[in-house]
Amino acid sequence: MRYRKTFLFMMLLGIMATFTLGAQTRPVTITHWYWADNPNYSKVMQQIAAEFNATNGKGITVVAQEYPWDGGAYSETLFRAVMGGGGPDTSSFKLTSTPLFTANGLLVNLDPWLAKWPDRDKIDASLYNTMRKASGTNSVYVMPWNTQVLYVYYRPSMFRRMGVKVPTTYEEFLEACRKLTFDIDGDGKTDVYGFGMRGARGGHEPWGSFIQARGGTFEDFTTPQAIAGMQDFIDLYRKGYAPPTAPMDGFNEIIANFKSGKTAMTIHHIGSSIGMIDTFGTDVDAFPFPGGVGRWTSMGDTENVMLKGCKERDAAFEWLAYLATGKGQEMWCTATGNVPVSKDVQKLPFFQNNRFMKVSIEGAPYAGIFPILDTTTEWISTIWPNTVAAALTGKMTAAEAMRQLQKGLWGK
Amino acid sequence: MHRKRLVLWPYLLILPALLTILAVVFVPVLKALLMSFQSYDLRRPHRIRYTGLENYGEAFSDPLFWQALMKTAIWVAAGVGMQFIFGFMLALLLNRRFPGRGIVRSLSLIPWVTPGVLIGLMWRWIYDGNYGVLNDLLLRLGLIHDKIPFLAQQSTAFPAVILTIIWQGIPFFALMLLAGLQGIPEELYDAADVDGANAVQKFFRITVPSLKNTIFVTTLLRIIWVANSVDVIFNLTEGGPAYSTQTLSVYVFNKGNTLNLGYASTMAILLALALATVAVPYLRILFRQQEAG
Amino acid sequence: MRRNRLRHLPLQILLMLALAAIMVFLLFPFYWTLVTSLKPERELYASRVTYWPNAPTLASYRKLFVEFRFVKPMLNSLLVAAGTTVISLTVSLLAAYAFSRYRFRGRRFFMTMFLTNNMFPTVLLLIPLYAIMRKLGILYTPTALILAYTTFTIPFSIWLLHGYLNDLPSSLEEAAMVDGANRAQAFVRIILPMMAPCIVATGAYVFMTSWNEYTFAVMFTNEANRTIPVALKNFIGQLGVEWGMLTAGGIITIIPVCIMFFFAQRRLVEGLTAGAVKG
Repeated sequence: MRYRKTFLFMMLLGIMATFTLGAQTRPVTITHWYWADNPNYSKVMQQIAAEFNATNGKGITVVAQEYPWDGGAYSETLFRAVMGGGGPDTSSFKLTSTPLFTANGLLVNLDPWLAKWPDRDKIDASLYNTMRKASGTNSVYVMPWNTQVLYVYYRPSMFRRMGVKVPTTYEEFLEACRKLTFDIDGDGKTDVYGFGMRGARGGHEPWGSFIQARGGTFEDFTTPQAIAGMQDFIDLYRKGYAPPTAPMDGFNEIIANFKSGKTAMTIHHIGSSIGMIDTFGTDVDAFPFPGGVGRWTSMGDTENVMLKGCKERDAAFEWLAYLATGKGQEMWCTATGNVPVSKDVQKLPFFQNNRFMKVSIEGAPYAGIFPILDTTTEWISTIWPNTVAAALTGKMTAAEAMRQLQKGLWGK
Repeated sequence: MHRKRLVLWPYLLILPALLTILAVVFVPVLKALLMSFQSYDLRRPHRIRYTGLENYGEAFSDPLFWQALMKTAIWVAAGVGMQFIFGFMLALLLNRRFPGRGIVRSLSLIPWVTPGVLIGLMWRWIYDGNYGVLNDLLLRLGLIHDKIPFLAQQSTAFPAVILTIIWQGIPFFALMLLAGLQGIPEELYDAADVDGANAVQKFFRITVPSLKNTIFVTTLLRIIWVANSVDVIFNLTEGGPAYSTQTLSVYVFNKGNTLNLGYASTMAILLALALATVAVPYLRILFRQQEAG
Repeated sequence: MRRNRLRHLPLQILLMLALAAIMVFLLFPFYWTLVTSLKPERELYASRVTYWPNAPTLASYRKLFVEFRFVKPMLNSLLVAAGTTVISLTVSLLAAYAFSRYRFRGRRFFMTMFLTNNMFPTVLLLIPLYAIMRKLGILYTPTALILAYTTFTIPFSIWLLHGYLNDLPSSLEEAAMVDGANRAQAFVRIILPMMAPCIVATGAYVFMTSWNEYTFAVMFTNEANRTIPVALKNFIGQLGVEWGMLTAGGIITIIPVCIMFFFAQRRLVEGLTAGAVKG
């Protein structure tokens, strides 16, 4: 009798358990798009998805699909697919595309999920504010993932050879660019250039540091301070402290020039540090871009978003959260060396002991982004590189170039 | 009865081609045409409305548009012209009998087979101002004393991209004209031999007239093609430095990628109209000849 | 004839030199791709340019096939390109024949329409095209690409074939028809054999176009059916170009097509003999 009662009770429990578990484990599939900055990143992303699928316990399966970065056209591929009624549930994302996507109502407002998310405060409040500002609303549409702070890579051996100390002010930095331009074999030709300048697309980020160091702002490029910063940038090229190829040098070229010893300094973020260490071992180090009148460095960023076609939004948020503060955050940032957005992950020894991570974190307080307007993507991809190339090659003065840049971004 | 069937046949024959095209691109093209009369900028979707000819007015007062149009003219004239000359030479050479002809013919297609992604990168790599092999070769030959940043200078960037498109397009003409050459009966040449004609005379009296339609069609198609091509320039220079390699099609592509589709459509239509000024006389001659012949 | 050849020996040599010069120009970038694919990355950015790798390595090729299973995108590309070539050629041949051998109302209109069809840049058509493919339920299948490529290769194929047909003397098929063959029979027995080289050439155009296309491929495929250009583009990230794998992938892409063409071009020779018969 007693046994029977227990048995019945157990059965009931069993049925209830299956029922509730069954409700929870209703299989759900989330399609996630991402790009890979190198083939290793692609592997890591697949591992993260597999790890998530194995451990989430809610029957969520993430299918991660790789799409080409295509020089930034990734965002347009995503946009066209979603506009055409398709596209993924979630995707990796660049903040600069936010106005385009929100204007067309393609992103899901994450506020309802963030409100009840226990891990919310693991991410710095200022990051959420940046996300809000980019959307032009008071809501968060974009989930932080990782950031990269630009700093200056340099070759300690070249500094020693030319007797240059690590610059601590903007003036010293310009001086270092000059001193580090030298001729090794005595044939009268420059063999090493002080500064590896990026004049092609993407070069606006390091360039911004020059503008702000002279006290200029991005709200008005036509102030005398901003023009002075532009003049410094032009002078570095015109006086031969940057390679003659600079107007068309993009990421590949500045890194190749630095790695081959053609340049003594160049500006990039921690993403390239693994390759630098591969090439130079200890003969590479970094310092934060020094301040002058003002001080600024560019904060690169990668986020994740939920797209409007997503049906299983709770599950999708689960995945976004996993990438932002869960195991996914740790796996991604450890493999790529990017700066984590989760404060917990930032505290891990791996990030505390890395010399490039230290410089990144040192630069973080004055790191910022360019104004995100609906004109920003075009400004970055065509207006900035072409205008600056014209200025570098002497077709335009600094003031003229700055007027064009002002018009291109702000429309007046 | 018989006559009626004769009239129906051609329509039946073109029907499959027509249906495919109507089903797939008719609506998108129509939409794009309409976009040119709208402020169709997806960055500002709530401001989309019909604006009449406003986009056209903007294009005409846009100095970059005129510059891009000029660049397109040079790009097409130099690009297609050289492709044709060298392609024809290659076709004639490959039409001769020599050992290993089959292999050489297949190898000559390589530029055409090369994926567009790779063409841009490889040529960029060849032109590179620091590690590029072109600089190295010129230095070794003693033709230059300092490395030239080919793609970073406005004076050399445009010739460099044109050289690349010539390279890419030679195999098309070579293959197409070679196929045409096969159809010329050898008896015509034998007869000319009897008349004592020399090679040049034979070329102009037999070869060219026999390939008339093929030459006509291939050059026309190639003009349209090269005028619209984006791949090579975009992968080499993205239209820079300082817009010096921005042809109209690259300009359209850049605008299309920033999703200012209205303005991009307008310029695409203007490009099509510019091409029509070349194509219409072409077609007029073609149709007149056909109807006469 | 033979005496003729001997007398022109210097000319012969000159012509072969001209051929060699053009071929060097055409093949140099290919050679350079090959050399790059065999170089370890360190050697790429060395201060001295080397014309053959100091330490050639097949590491990139191994990585490409073992880790990145490059065979899959190759097969996908082959399927799409072959499918497109067959469909596009068949449809275009019918239409080209109509335009070449019949005079009918609307002929000029349709021919002009086919010509202008390709003038509109695809970048402006992508959103609606994507929506159409989705509505047809063929998005992310090879069919979507075959349909897109067929649409965009038909117009030029029609024009090319039409040009060739007009250059072919029509006397022979007329003779056959006088002999009692109907149009279809005359087409299959007389025109097709004579057209063989032209069909090969046009087919090559269709094949190359669909083999190398990127813009549609990235929109209409996913990882299951990626084609070569998309797979290659994945090697170019924000953190640089994977030179080794990109160039190795390029070489692997080029070689099979050249081999295929080597066999196809025999048709060109056969076409020659077919042409000689008609005299």
